[in-house]
Amino acid sequence: MTINFTRRDFLKVGGAAAGALALGHFIPPRVAEAARLSGILDATDSGYIPSMCEMCVWRCGLLAKVEQGRVVKLEGNPDHPHSRGNLCPRGQSGLMNTYDPDRVLNPLIRVGKRGEGLFRKASWEEALDLVAQNMLDIKQKYGAEAMVFSSTHNLSQPLFENLLYAFGSPNYGTQRSLCFNAMIVSNLMTYGMEEPARIYDDNLSYILLTGRNLFEAISTSETHDLSAAIDRGAKVVYLDPRFTKTAAKASEWLPIKPGMDLAFHLALLNVIVNERLYNIPFVSLNTIGFDKLQVELQPYTPAWAAPLTGIAAETITRIAREFAAAAPHALAHNGWRTSNFINSFHTQRAISILNALVGNWGVTLTGGGSEESSTLGAPPQPPYPRISAMRLDGVPWKYPVVPLKIGVFQELRDNIVKGDPYQAHGWFIARQNPAMSISDRARTLEAFGKMDFIVTMDIILNDTSWFSDVVLPEASYLERYDPLVPIGDQVFIRQPVIEPQGEAKSALWIYRQLGQRLGLGDFFQYIDEEDYLRQELAPLGVSLEEVKAKGYAQLSETPHASETSEPSWSTPSGKIELYSDTLAKVGFPGVPTWEEPPQPAEGQFYLLTGKVAQQTQFGTQNNLLLHKYSDEPRLWMNANKAASLGLADGDWVEVTSDIGKVNIRLLATQAIREDCVYLTPGYGHLSKGLTTAFGIGASDSALHVTYTDPISGGQALSQTFVTVKKA
Amino acid sequence: MTEIKHKAFLFDATRCIDCRACMVACSVENKIDMDKTRIWVAGVGVKGVFPELQRASMVYHCMHCNEPDCLSACPVGAYSKRPDGPVIYDPKKCIGCRYCMNACPFGVPHFDWDKGLVEGAFIDKCTMCPQRIDIGLEPACVATCPTDALMFGERDDLLKYAHDRLTAQPARYINHVYGENENGGTSYFILSHVPFEELGLPPLTSTPVKEVSEKVMEVTIPFALGWGAVLTGVAAGVHVYNQKKEADAKKVETSEPQTEEKK
Ligand code: SF4
Ligand code: SF4
Ligand code: SF4
Repeated sequence: MTINFTRRDFLKVGGAAAGALALGHFIPPRVAEAARLSGILDATDSGYIPSMCEMCVWRCGLLAKVEQGRVVKLEGNPDHPHSRGNLCPRGQSGLMNTYDPDRVLNPLIRVGKRGEGLFRKASWEEALDLVAQNMLDIKQKYGAEAMVFSSTHNLSQPLFENLLYAFGSPNYGTQRSLCFNAMIVSNLMTYGMEEPARIYDDNLSYILLTGRNLFEAISTSETHDLSAAIDRGAKVVYLDPRFTKTAAKASEWLPIKPGMDLAFHLALLNVIVNERLYNIPFVSLNTIGFDKLQVELQPYTPAWAAPLTGIAAETITRIAREFAAAAPHALAHNGWRTSNFINSFHTQRAISILNALVGNWGVTLTGGGSEESSTLGAPPQPPYPRISAMRLDGVPWKYPVVPLKIGVFQELRDNIVKGDPYQAHGWFIARQNPAMSISDRARTLEAFGKMDFIVTMDIILNDTSWFSDVVLPEASYLERYDPLVPIGDQVFIRQPVIEPQGEAKSALWIYRQLGQRLGLGDFFQYIDEEDYLRQELAPLGVSLEEVKAKGYAQLSETPHASETSEPSWSTPSGKIELYSDTLAKVGFPGVPTWEEPPQPAEGQFYLLTGKVAQQTQFGTQNNLLLHKYSDEPRLWMNANKAASLGLADGDWVEVTSDIGKVNIRLLATQAIREDCVYLTPGYGHLSKGLTTAFGIGASDSALHVTYTDPISGGQALSQTFVTVKKA
Repeated sequence: MTEIKHKAFLFDATRCIDCRACMVACSVENKIDMDKTRIWVAGVGVKGVFPELQRASMVYHCMHCNEPDCLSACPVGAYSKRPDGPVIYDPKKCIGCRYCMNACPFGVPHFDWDKGLVEGAFIDKCTMCPQRIDIGLEPACVATCPTDALMFGERDDLLKYAHDRLTAQPARYINHVYGENENGGTSYFILSHVPFEELGLPPLTSTPVKEVSEKVMEVTIPFALGWGAVLTGVAAGVHVYNQKKEADAKKVETSEPQTEEKK
């Protein structure tokens, strides 16, 4: 027990990370010159600078407390709709992301073999020249399409897209197919928008969460909204094979069998349609295809779904009735997934349709807040060159309904390995870690092996940088400007709180420098970051100084079309499409339909993953503060099941899938179904440049087999089955 | 009992999601070393048998007692109770005798030998963030809580709010505001859906421990020791982790091929 630890042991801890242990011990960084000049700080360089979190993609507004030129604390910005004064544990630990002792602060050029982690420091001149030269060589020898570009959801993405489209490559990898393609494509097919916004008003009385673990996968304001709704007495029904922290707070937890969410939702629709519980005027006015849906739903009775899902027929019927009775103050949350299977698209369609049938539009769901604002300006730029090469990721030739901007990343990786339909030779990776994120890590490393040249941009030596030829050190989110973000009728800013440490530079700077070296300077017509933001603000008549001081600019009241007129949807029919002709035309079922997912054989388990509140994907395990307050990553197994296999809590076990094997300690718990195991994701790093994270936990991507939902292109993450034995 | 007009915390275990934002916030605000903490989430974890399960967590730090045992026990007067609530500690006066650690029924003050040698500050504990409350801010832990599980305010107001909740939602809570009278009354109130002992809170009477017999001390000291262990558990956790990394380095390997160099 911990009680036996002596003072000596703690001394060792003290020595282990000397100098980096206490935030108070850091070398004082320089306060951002820009903040000083714009008068946000007082004469002693103290005060609060408004900016924006980047520890996940929710982007909470923050206030960085600066004392005598040093940033000492981050607070949630009460004026920001995503934080409302709060930050989650990751947001609170953001300082440690900037002050990570493992930060890469100079451009690096590889000197050893790939994967050896031997680099030398280089100047920006040399590194950028080398990158540009390699990109141009590849373009000349094999065509622009031989350069692959990939980047994960971030604010400088418009400039990243400028780089790739201006360069002329169609090959764009985003992380979305690894996460929520099914949700986005289903909403596009149903509502003509990626993700309707959810409204948690005081009347919201019924919330159906299909694996949306909002109390561990935190989005600060929405997490608060859910907590407040529960506090008011709203009913929350939560589906998840695990008893998560959200399950613990839900009114009703349904430990559904993985892959069977579709059966559950089809049965809900069956009850609502057959008992005529739907909102008849809303459906007849605003939707098309009800008849076809009704016919398809007939076999999907609660009695049919019960043995599949493990949820009693009466329970399904009751929930359907309760949900319809609570409507329109009822919300079925799309979530990202409870589990991802090749049938996930239909699951998501069924959820989208459930909301439509009960007519909660305009009450608990509404038009999504787009991140693209027509009101913001942008530097002038020429049109992109015409790109005629096929995409390597099968969009649209294999995945006809997946949007180009979203893509199918795992397919891109597979086709790099196959060299089909052509061979890619170079990979530009910005703030992304495909070595950890795509299923089947060995195969991703194989794809790296096919490359003549790999360049990665990040703030630390992530696992992909570890295998790169050049690493470009980006300034952290507390050290740089990014393009502005519109939310509703406000535009928010991310601005430097301290000057970049070392030689780190903003993405805006890096892309412009590269663009110029590639002869694409016309696509980057701004002098520096501030100039870019001024050009964005120009049409608003708001000064950059004002935005910097307040943290946001108020847009003039321009009533949204949806608020003033009848609701309309940007689907081909202009209505909510219960039946989608778009889907039918390309050979997919036009209404959601049952597809039986594969199930584990005797002795195998479903391998589940899912977020913990203290970490974001694969990017934060090296943050010392989060490391300090995180639980050790383990493999959860039902305690009864473990006992029957002769396994005890804390045992080292070997987990084996069709493609890989990892060792990890067991957590024997009642909080999971007997047919599942759960692995804390994001651990098992390959980069020894991550001195805190390296050697901890095991990688789920080393186990995950690549299966793809044929409609949405989403990775069927939970379709991997494993065996577990004592290590 | 005399009327008390000062600040207090309210913690609602039914709302806490064990996210630990409060802990990170405290560590940053108060520049706590990476192997220490002044605040920790404790609790029963998951209880019950699948699928009839329950889970609770409890955010624990100094209770800021009205009649602090730490203060009474300290031979050199290093502790004081500010009129507005916080029980604070003056490191310059501390001689490192650890009487406060033994006296506190909640096991809050913890000992830091390294710091003692270097800075003369042997003891550390939650301070209620005077640097923040003096300028009208909430303590760091409270300010960031995304679910309002932690609240801060005037003691009287919070107490009334807590009792109102018990009256309004009797099925939701155990009918008791822990900390209202325990140990002579504290400035940290706790509402819970599971028995308070399960949250790791000692059953205490309204008499401060210092006034009761040795017999009761025997009951409470194990609690103190238990909490001391949890308190240092974070440090121990970090340590075990690092040790484990070395010991099991050979076990933590995957069966992956190395990437091939392209010729
Ligand atoms: S949810 Fe947390 S990590 Fe994400 S932006 Fe908000 S504070 Fe940052
Ligand atoms: S909880 Fe312990 S340390 Fe805090 S005031 Fe009470 S006796 Fe003192
Ligand atoms: S921040 Fe709030 S919800 Fe999170 S652990 Fe602390 S008290 Fe609980």
